[in-house]
Amino acid sequence: MPSDHHKPPRQIGGELVIPILAVGFTIYFFSTIWNSPWTAQVSAFIVGGILLLVCAIFFVRAGIWLVRGEGTLGVGNLFTMDDIHTGRIGLLLTTIAYVMFIDTLGFTLMTFLFLAASMLILAKGKNAGFITMISAAMALTGWAVFIWAFDTRFPRGWFETTMKAILANG
Amino acid sequence: MDSSTASILVEVFFETIGYWYIIVPTILLGLIVGGIPGFSAANTIIILMPLTLALDLQSGLVFMISLYCSARMGAGIPAILVNIPGTAGAAATPLDGYPMAKQGKGQQALAISFVASCIGGLLTTIIALATMPILARVGFYMHSVEMIVVMLFGISLIASIAAQDMVKGLIAGFLGLMIGSIGTDVVYATPRGTFGILELYDGVPLIPALVGLFAVSEAFVIIEKRVIVNHDGEPKTPNWGDTFDGVRIALKRWVHIVWTSIIGLVIGVIPGAGASIASFVAYQQSRSFSKTPELYGTGHPEGLIAPESANNGVTSGTLVPLLVLGIPGGATAAIMLVVMQFHGVSFGPSLFENQPKVGYGMFMAMAVSYVIMFLTILPLSRYMSHVTTIPTIYLAPMIIAFTLVGGFVPREYMFDMYLALAFGVLGYIARRTGYHVAAILIGVILGPLLEKYFLWSLKKSDGDIMVLFSSTLGNILWVAFALSIILPIVFGMRRKRKLEVPAE
Repeated sequence: MPSDHHKPPRQIGGELVIPILAVGFTIYFFSTIWNSPWTAQVSAFIVGGILLLVCAIFFVRAGIWLVRGEGTLGVGNLFTMDDIHTGRIGLLLTTIAYVMFIDTLGFTLMTFLFLAASMLILAKGKNAGFITMISAAMALTGWAVFIWAFDTRFPRGWFETTMKAILANG
Repeated sequence: MDSSTASILVEVFFETIGYWYIIVPTILLGLIVGGIPGFSAANTIIILMPLTLALDLQSGLVFMISLYCSARMGAGIPAILVNIPGTAGAAATPLDGYPMAKQGKGQQALAISFVASCIGGLLTTIIALATMPILARVGFYMHSVEMIVVMLFGISLIASIAAQDMVKGLIAGFLGLMIGSIGTDVVYATPRGTFGILELYDGVPLIPALVGLFAVSEAFVIIEKRVIVNHDGEPKTPNWGDTFDGVRIALKRWVHIVWTSIIGLVIGVIPGAGASIASFVAYQQSRSFSKTPELYGTGHPEGLIAPESANNGVTSGTLVPLLVLGIPGGATAAIMLVVMQFHGVSFGPSLFENQPKVGYGMFMAMAVSYVIMFLTILPLSRYMSHVTTIPTIYLAPMIIAFTLVGGFVPREYMFDMYLALAFGVLGYIARRTGYHVAAILIGVILGPLLEKYFLWSLKKSDGDIMVLFSSTLGNILWVAFALSIILPIVFGMRRKRKLEVPAE
């Protein structure tokens, strides 16, 4: 029978993030309904009460693992230095930038910049020409389908305004 | 069915086939809009409303119905291939569809899904057509008390998902239910847990939650691998054999397709209920009465068949209250109502006397769409499955860009893109630390509905909790719910005992 002796200890720190968020959110939620009519309270108190109970059970279980030395408060299952090397942090930053600037730069231009930057980060700078081409093709296809053909109200910027003027004037 | 009705049905059937030139391109459009979160059949019909109104009545109906059916099926494609359900109705599809794709069985999974969807949709269309007067009454009997039990059928799926680690599963599920409670309460409109953000007063919008929990978090996880398929999963190239295998596997489980699609039909008939409830309930029931419940979640064909045939069963179900009572069963049906009223069609029982071709034509359009869909989409599964072999360095940014902006589409608030990002972070943390994102999503989708029906019941009974056991149908459903929880445990224990006997 293979021994579990060299199994690395469980990274409980990472596993505690969601229960801690859940407890914090539930307490905040309760604070917003404390003086409300019963209709606003009844369901939240039942669901929130059960959530607090199962979180408490998890905290006790995590405590037992810690005491027994079966786990640590590490967050290695959530974040490691590999996240920088694989480009995950870079992808997160470009994603945040995408959401922040799409309203200003418009869907097409921002999608092109996001796709190009993210793919270059993940590909570690290789195939720059191909990535630029595929990013431009995807962004232009998105513009043609969603904005030009379907006229959906995607965020619009310089590119969309210019194309609209060009198409309107033949 | 008298001979005149039969002759009308035959006539309408052949007339509808004549509209193949509308149906085929609409099916392709439906697959695209169904597959991108934020774009649904309802959105697309609204966007293309000028076109729909410009068409004659029959062409407009064929267009709307084909789009409705194909969008429903299209939502399952990204759910299987990249773990991103196109709509909330396909949220249960990746539970077993995506593990199959990761094992290199993406093509097979797509074929199973297409067969289940088409047979489920076709069969329920025929049943709906034959039993319309009876089905139309279902909506009258399903009040808030009965709906509470239906919701509980779906929510109990959390416990099944939580089977591997019950405490973590329950934390995920109840956190989802808590998040689903954000917004104003249904009776006095008191804001709760909104952080003072006006955009949350209507509750947490489903599409940003879906996009974040499934698409964004998945994109951040898949970059660890070169392609989606596991290393040991697919050294082979896609071939027709996999498609035929998928068809064979699905057809072998025809009984499963039949009963899960009927669940979808019955839930679809209830106004306000929808494909998401149907697919969760069907998955849960399928698992509960399966001989191999332990295989669910690992890429089990039955776990893929159940939600897909159920959510396509819903499409024909929603037409019943629309046509017979003039009550739309969902958003798409409501838009169809507007378009048909523009053309001077009046709904209700008289529809089948005054304009029988319109009434029966909608069901025939649905039946013909499913037949044509089967013939056109099934061969495409071979090519669609290539998605799983695209390097993730290209795939992940594309998923993020097009799904995040899809989160913006339904309400057109920039806030919804930030919300999708926040759900993405939550989903990523959940995936990395062993909490099931599907359990969170079930809570977010079904939580507000459960609360709404619960509060309505209590309000009607002046706070008497015994109202939950006050109706005959409700009590029958309670018994069925209890049995669906208890029987699988009993069957499981019996199976275990049988396995232990030879060992002794």
